Amino acid sequence: MSGGYTILSLDEAQTATHRDCTLIPVRHHLRFRAAGVNAWKADAGDQLVPPHSEDPGMEELYVVVSGRATFTVDDETTSAPPGSLIFVPPGIHRRAEAAEDGTIVFAIGGAVGRAFESSGWGNAITANLAAEDIDLWYVHYDAGCHEVSARRSDDAFEHLRHAKELDSEGESAAYFREDSRLDPLRDDPRFQDLLA
Amino acid sequence: VNLVHVDELDAIEMPEGFVWRPVRRHFGIRAFGTNAYTPGANGQIVEEHTEEQLGHEEVYLVLRGRVRFTIDGNDHELGPGQLVFVRDPSLRRGGVALTEDAAVLAVGGKPGEAHEISTWEYVFVASPYVQADRWAEAERLMQEGLEEKPGDPALLYHFACLEARAGKPDAALEHLLAAVEAGERFREYAQTDEDFVSIRDDPRFPR
Repeated sequence: MSGGYTILSLDEAQTATHRDCTLIPVRHHLRFRAAGVNAWKADAGDQLVPPHSEDPGMEELYVVVSGRATFTVDDETTSAPPGSLIFVPPGIHRRAEAAEDGTIVFAIGGAVGRAFESSGWGNAITANLAAEDIDLWYVHYDAGCHEVSARRSDDAFEHLRHAKELDSEGESAAYFREDSRLDPLRDDPRFQDLLA
Repeated sequence: VNLVHVDELDAIEMPEGFVWRPVRRHFGIRAFGTNAYTPGANGQIVEEHTEEQLGHEEVYLVLRGRVRFTIDGNDHELGPGQLVFVRDPSLRRGGVALTEDAAVLAVGGKPGEAHEISTWEYVFVASPYVQADRWAEAERLMQEGLEEKPGDPALLYHFACLEARAGKPDAALEHLLAAVEAGERFREYAQTDEDFVSIRDDPRFPR
């Protein structure tokens, strides 16, 4: 996790439940900032990617990593073995079910012509992970950032203090120092404890 | 359904030894950068490079087979469903396939900025034509790149390189001068670049 790079095994990463599907919040685990990256996993017959369409301008690419997925895009259904890449333009309805146990699909998304920003959807995932009290420092750190944007300072400090306690390697220190999302808290005396 | 299998994508063999599988270009994706790679004859699958020039964060996901990544001097052997995320653009990274069937997907971009198509995509896609002395096709791709990225110094420079090799000194000098005007570092590159042997004695050549 240190030294400017991170290795992650999708089938071992912490998951979250989103609309009855199993999400691997990859972007969240990596703190990747350049695009939306996530993965979904399911066993045979289960929903893999929840039915949805993306907002205008949002392009999405799905990549089958393991198992086999049955994709339905705009009412057309196809079977996708590992190594398949499926591109879905904005506004088109899509969903996928797993056709084999241990199916994993990697998803990349972003908006045309604008910088990537984590969505309300991404923040909801963060809040869910934190509510499940997962003991990863950055889950609580992100939840804290989310509380700052919602102008709930007391809740933000609670999450951020918890993040600092969980971070045994001191990886969070640079984030506390530099992350502009925390700027609204910096004049609060409680913030000094986070920097100590 | 707009589906393609990684093995059905164009396979562009690069001189550095890896095979580039253009994903973004295949689908016409504009929101983010993504490409796949398979090994060339020497087993290289991800070119040894840094992202310092572009400032990109990059994720490399193994889709199939086994790959030994070397990141900042450290070796990591990864299999299907494992990825390495290189946050620091200055870290040197590369990958060698340990199995012939290996395939890697790369996703990258610059945090906080809208995605721009990278200049190297046009250079890569033109590479087989350049290697085969098929100048008209290569020039058409440089033209396409300049329509997307007008005035891009690296594209102007590559355009000049292949025009010089194609025996078009006037066009080559015009593009080279424009490249140097837009990016001073290209003046230095041009002094020793073998592609410019045919035009280096021309009085118009930038010194």
